[in-house]
Amino acid sequence: MKKDHSCEEYEHLSRRGFLGASAAAGAASLLFPRTAFAQGARGGLQRPCLVGIFLRGAMDGLSVVVPHGDANLYSLRPSLAVPAPGAANGALDLDGYFGLNPNASGLLTPFQSGGLAFVHACGSPDPTRSHFDAMRSMELGQPDQPATTVTSGWLARHLQAVSPAGTGPLRAIALDPLLPRVLAMAPATLPIPDPANFAFPGNPASASARRAAIDNAYARTIAPLAPAAAASLDSIDLLDTVDFTAYTPANGAVYPASKFGAVLRNTAAMIKADIGLEVAHHDYGGWDHHDEQGPLDGKLAGMLADLSAALEAFHLDMQGMEDRYVLYAKSEFGRRAAENGSGGTDHGSGGLMMVMGRGVQGGQVHGAWPTLAPAALDEGDLRVETDYRDVLAEVLTAGIGGTDLGHVFEGHTPTPLGVVL
Amino acid sequence: MPLPPSTSISVPVGGDRPPLLRDDTLTLVHRATFGYTAEEHARATAMGFEAWRDEQLDPASIDDSQLEAQLAAIPYLGMSVAELAAAFAGQNGADNELRRILQGARLLRAATSKRQLLERMVEFWTDHFNIYGDGSIAFLKVVDDREVVRRHALGDFRELLGASAKSGAMLVYLDNATSVAAAPNENYSRELMELHTLGTGAGYTEQDVQEVARCLTGWTIYPPGHPSVGEFVFNPSTHDNGAKVVLGQSIAAGGGQQDGETVLDLLAFHPSTARRLAEKLCVFFLSYDPPSATVDRVAAVFTATSGDIAETVRAVLSRQSFREGRVWQQLKLRRPMHMAVGAIRSAGGTLSTSPQGLYELVAVTKFMGHAPFDWPAPNGYPDALGAWGANLLPRWTFATALLDDAIAGATVPNAALLAIFSGVAPSRRAGALSRHLTGGRMTPEDVAEVQAFIDSQSTFNGDVAREAVALALSLPSTQWI
Repeated sequence: MKKDHSCEEYEHLSRRGFLGASAAAGAASLLFPRTAFAQGARGGLQRPCLVGIFLRGAMDGLSVVVPHGDANLYSLRPSLAVPAPGAANGALDLDGYFGLNPNASGLLTPFQSGGLAFVHACGSPDPTRSHFDAMRSMELGQPDQPATTVTSGWLARHLQAVSPAGTGPLRAIALDPLLPRVLAMAPATLPIPDPANFAFPGNPASASARRAAIDNAYARTIAPLAPAAAASLDSIDLLDTVDFTAYTPANGAVYPASKFGAVLRNTAAMIKADIGLEVAHHDYGGWDHHDEQGPLDGKLAGMLADLSAALEAFHLDMQGMEDRYVLYAKSEFGRRAAENGSGGTDHGSGGLMMVMGRGVQGGQVHGAWPTLAPAALDEGDLRVETDYRDVLAEVLTAGIGGTDLGHVFEGHTPTPLGVVL
Repeated sequence: MPLPPSTSISVPVGGDRPPLLRDDTLTLVHRATFGYTAEEHARATAMGFEAWRDEQLDPASIDDSQLEAQLAAIPYLGMSVAELAAAFAGQNGADNELRRILQGARLLRAATSKRQLLERMVEFWTDHFNIYGDGSIAFLKVVDDREVVRRHALGDFRELLGASAKSGAMLVYLDNATSVAAAPNENYSRELMELHTLGTGAGYTEQDVQEVARCLTGWTIYPPGHPSVGEFVFNPSTHDNGAKVVLGQSIAAGGGQQDGETVLDLLAFHPSTARRLAEKLCVFFLSYDPPSATVDRVAAVFTATSGDIAETVRAVLSRQSFREGRVWQQLKLRRPMHMAVGAIRSAGGTLSTSPQGLYELVAVTKFMGHAPFDWPAPNGYPDALGAWGANLLPRWTFATALLDDAIAGATVPNAALLAIFSGVAPSRRAGALSRHLTGGRMTPEDVAEVQAFIDSQSTFNGDVAREAVALALSLPSTQWI
């Protein structure tokens, strides 16, 4: 296993070395094709913002993009399957074989207009059915093996591998209170749950003296506190330039009044403000529905309505600016093909991935379909036919414009899929 | 209620020294409590390292009547599920109100209990056996917090595990309450092995997950309307009575409820469980990467005492552990709730005891990402530097708001400020602050930053004093346990 570059990165990113980080990244930038991008308003490259949504808890892909053409679904899930199109509460047909859960109807327009792609039977080669091991493996970007020594996230390694798009202090933001492992050891990255409220506290008269003391003191401490303190202080001024309060979504888009709606609305505002943001990540949890799953009228239905309404609004808000972002949403794995006795589903394998934005070949359900036939199942689960890293490799290259895939997904040779071109 | 004044307490000299110097008792007070106070440090110093620790490991021996009297004013904390259901009958939003009450009580206890090590262990087990939810879980968690976590926090691990397995809140949260022979639900079975006992990597298989789920079918709770609503009951009619094999051990057909007890015995006394709990406790109290010698020794104590938690913690918080890991030099980040409670404690703050006031404080911990009982996944809040170490602005905001009296529910009275600064030479004010807040454990550089801030102000009045305290509580030196 090759050594991790990350600790070294952190050294570079201590307060005084912050601006020098772009020089440190010089070698890596040779790998990065610069041709496709105009100069950003702040003098850096204008790279599309990668918007990553982690649907934690294992979303039931079979209840979202429903394989209504596979009769096995209805024998495996007599009480849970979303009915075929035409029946009461039936799926909204996508291509004659797959259909959308009616609660996710917000995704229909993005899909049919060619902006949104699904990848089904997609997941990790790591066979674990543990949420936490599977998340860890996916965030590190490789199967969790005893020999694994990598501790940085794959998104962090992407940011290490390419030169900064702008000159700002905030290359990546996690719109959460905790930094997710996928961004562990990422340069110029902060967890900020609410970027619209990111101000230095207290008496304005003494603020500069207090700021200076904090700045000096944290420059002397350990990572990740030292680089985070510097980035925080600089980001206070940067985020102050974004008028979140007066932000008006374009094209009449209306975000739902939910946490996820606010996350995508704020993300759109930051992308349009051109602050040099390269990655926005959000953890959307709560998809672990072992009981009373309710894909049509219960817990899953409500969450799907929120998810799809927010994605629909973001898609509309960013219409005409598809070159400015690539969005993906995925879970650590899918759910068991058969329902359990609690009106829910246990942990499974193959899941569903959604991709939207620059270069995305939308309007299609991508990926080989293994079927739900008894002999095709993997220990009772939908078999993984498409490695999630193959999708992300296209997101990072064709979508974002390039990266060092050997660094990001070391040991994995991506198979071309044509999801992002 | 005000915390005891610290003016009469003599503190050790050398407030400006770096933390490289070894002072086991000072290290112990920082790590075994929710925040340094000069008073507790003086007590520990007077009693000696072992005596203070042993007293903390025997919480019943510590008088906590002041807090208990305050908690007695919140009757819901002592109620059964049936009593709670009756008390809140027909009330909309009762689940959220109850959640807030429990969260507020959690903060009050952490900040003011004399049984500080017990409160730290409650924090540990609350994460280890994490439960989250509104609706019925909000009611059931009140009982789980009292009868599972708090009752057994320094007791016997097998009893704790068994109480958790029979906790209505756990049975509902991880769905075992609806797991039946015809179609077992694997959720609890998996997390029981992965999170509560063995850990992944211990060699169990997907087959074991399914077999344990079969053993636990029929472990459920009395339904609404029953006088014992929410309490554990074994339902033989939904139990899978066939033979099972768990971790290579055969469990004969017809065992009934005993199947589950056998599983809990197997898991509680498994070497992987001892090793995993030992490591987790060492990380919790000592350092992110504890020496394997320490972990091995702690695991051996756990095994030799058949899972006596107090004995195990005694081995963690020992001079030998401190020496092995040079613990006094190890930087272990306080998580945000710990930081907030610790700031209140060490600054001499007082907490509101009204549920409404406490809820304001809960809201602040939520803003910091670390409200009690608010982590949705069964693994509990992480205890990792990478997860928490980059989100600093909320810490600075909290410290500033606390000293600005901007947080309903917590205030720092002027008397507390006087206790820090009165009679101190102007050039030594920051050093006095370091002694008061940390026992002199702030780095000289951080102390110098605070002193420079004080010196930069045209006068030294109450406002500047408050800003100086808030600044000290914002710096790296005060973020470590």
